[in-house]
Formats: sequence, structure tokens, C-alpha cells
Amino acid sequence: MVTYCDMVDIVPSIYRPQLETSLVRLQGTGAEDVKPEFANILTLPRGRLQSSGTSLAAVDFPVPQRGSESVVIDIEELMEWLARRVRIESLDSMGKYLLQFTELLDVIPQAVEAAKKHFPEAQLVMDVYQDPEIDDSYLVLYIRLKHYDDSVIERLEKAEAEFLNQLVNKRGWIQLTTDFRDP
Amino acid sequence: MGKKYAKPPIVEAVCEFRLTPETRWDLTVPGLLYERLKGSFPQKEQRMIREVEFIQGPEGLKQQIRTSERIMLFTEDKKMLVQVGPRLLAINVLKPYPHWEGFKPRIEMAWQSLQAAIEVQGLERIGLRYINHIELPAQSVELAEYFEFYLSVGQRLPQQMVSFLAGAEFSYADDRDHCRVQLTPIPGSGGKSLFMLDIDYFLARPRAVEVVDALAWVEEAHDRVKEVFEGCITDKLREMFEEVL
Repeated sequence: MVTYCDMVDIVPSIYRPQLETSLVRLQGTGAEDVKPEFANILTLPRGRLQSSGTSLAAVDFPVPQRGSESVVIDIEELMEWLARRVRIESLDSMGKYLLQFTELLDVIPQAVEAAKKHFPEAQLVMDVYQDPEIDDSYLVLYIRLKHYDDSVIERLEKAEAEFLNQLVNKRGWIQLTTDFRDP
Repeated sequence: MGKKYAKPPIVEAVCEFRLTPETRWDLTVPGLLYERLKGSFPQKEQRMIREVEFIQGPEGLKQQIRTSERIMLFTEDKKMLVQVGPRLLAINVLKPYPHWEGFKPRIEMAWQSLQAAIEVQGLERIGLRYINHIELPAQSVELAEYFEFYLSVGQRLPQQMVSFLAGAEFSYADDRDHCRVQLTPIPGSGGKSLFMLDIDYFLARPRAVEVVDALAWVEEAHDRVKEVFEGCITDKLREMFEEVL
């Protein structure tokens, strides 16, 4: 009898690296800043069956093998990529937001990379901010540090400058900021 | 006539036409298409699409990343869109699925608009893809209760899997067409399991379908996709999707 269960740790050794980004972690409970040594089965390009004999090594960017025409798959691939770098507060809200603002799919990796470059020590947290007073929402990428010093604001500005021009003429927004919380 | 469900698990359906390189294409084509489609698809967006291609060369496998611009035309409610890229036309519908009666006219409209804008010389690929998200009410489930397409492992292997990817490619129409089916768990929430069943029916032999027959191919592909979908699930899932009689 074959069962599917995400709470078991007995897996064939070939799949052992999957535990680095298990389903439980992908549910947004634990940010994973460390890339797994091998590709998680969930991060493999969806089209991999098309090209037998190709390497299954992870592509370090959410890039489909053939240009994906599926918006849903593009979003899922981005979320899987993000899950290895950023703590996502609500997968569901993120998914819904990205379905509304698909142009941001191109900008988010740049924002994350910029944040990681200027705050290599930080925990990154992504959430959808819903304005309580007006019908407006946008993505927020928080940096969380163990110690906050005077350089934080300047570094935030430098990081933001690396992707801000990509948001011009696009619907949707991603805000890089900090909530001054501990990681 | 196939089954119809009140709660279909379809989160996206995509119909894609890729044209042969002889078809002349320039930067004005997306604009021409927008003029014809803006009544139904008024919202225009733009994305840079990055594709990775694996090339087997004498020194081994090489990875090449290409970037191309894609125009995306959305309906007002953003539940349907047309994508236009170099020699590419794709029509997407998102959840809630408008059923074939709602999807097919959009495919026809977009395809006919493209043909009115340019002279299509040939078809490299046509595809009809359905992506289903199937939510099951427990974190641990027995796949065989819900699916007739799943990964079966021998008794000497651990019987509980943390993850898997079950996939197969089936041949149709004397190998002119293929249908790739993949089932994999995806992150769910609230103590439930979520699975993605991806059914991608496509023209496996480039140029095997004439331009004039493209829409007939799509209709046939839809019939095959329905058969495959029904072949992948059990009655237990049919009950959950609530068949409309």
C-alpha cells in the first residue's frame, strides 16, 4: 500500500537532500537561506521529462527549460526558488497577489538578490501588505538583522536602487524595508 | 460528451501555438494583435521571459539561457490572457475554469486574429495543457484511493514518501502527438494535501499539422485531455469534483 505522508523521515538515500526543503518547510514556516546541495524534486523544471538524458542539476534561477506559457507554473517555480532564500509568511496570499500582478515575477528575483547582496547576514521575509484603509496591497520584503546599526537605511537604499527602475510602468509593487525585528 | 464538474480542479488551461521560423515576425506583431484583441483583452503587460536550453555538444551538455520579450493581454478581471512572443501565441484561462464552451471561443478569436495580422507559414508546436490542483482532506493519504495515475513502489522500498514526481508521456495519432502527464505533491496548508496533476497534450512532430487544421487539432486535443484526466482519477475524486449531469 503506497501512502503519501510528509511527516516521515525514512526516505531512499537518493532523495535525502529533499529534506533540506521538505514540504513542511515549503509551507512557509521556516526560511531556508541555505541552498540544497541537489535539486529538490519539487524544484525540478516541470518539463524535464521532455529531455531525457539531461542533467538534473539545479538551475540557480527560476528558469523553465522551454519558455513556460503557464502563469501558474511560473508562479510556482518562483515560489519554490524563493522558499530556499526567503521566509514567505503566506504562500496563499503571495500566490494570489502574483496572479494579479504577473509583471512582478521578473522583478522579485532581482529584489531578493539585491537584498542578499547588501544584507548577506539578514533573514529575508516576504509578505503581502494589505492597506487597512484603502483597497491597496503590495509585496514587502523585510530584512531582519540581529543588530541594527546606522548603516541599515543607507544599505536599504542601495539595495532598492538595484531594482527600483524595473518597477517603472509595472502594475504591482515590491517594497524593501525592515520591521526592526529579530531574525 | 465527456463529464463536466461543478468544482473542477483546473487552476489554469493553456493553448499554445508556436510558429515555424519561416513565418515572418517583427516587433509590430504584438501591437497588431492588441488592436484586434483589445475589446476582450484590454489590459496590456510586458514580461521578459528567460528560457534555458540544454544543448548536447562534443564537450558535453551545455546550458544556454535566452531572454525574449512577451506581451500579455489580460481581460478586465485578469482571469484570461493572451501571450504574444516571437512566433508564439498562447491563450490562458485561470480559475474558475470557464469550461470548454468559454475557453474555445477565446482560442479561436486569438488564432484568427493572428492569422489576420500575419501570414502563418507553419506550426512547430501546438499544445493544450491543463494544470489541476487537487486538494485532499488529510496530510497523509493513500494515493490509490484518489488516483489511477500515481507512483507505485515495490514492497522492498519504504512505503511512505515525503515527495515524488510521477510522470509519463503517452503517444497518440501514430506518434504525431504526445501527452505528458505529471503528478506531484505541492505545498498545501491547513492539514490538507495538495497535488498538481499536469496534463500537457502537444504536437510532437513539428509541421505535422497544417495551419488550416490547427483549430481542429485543438478540438481533438481537448477530447484526449478529457480522456486522460478521467483516466488519472478515481470515482472518489469525481465525487469531490461534483459531476454535473
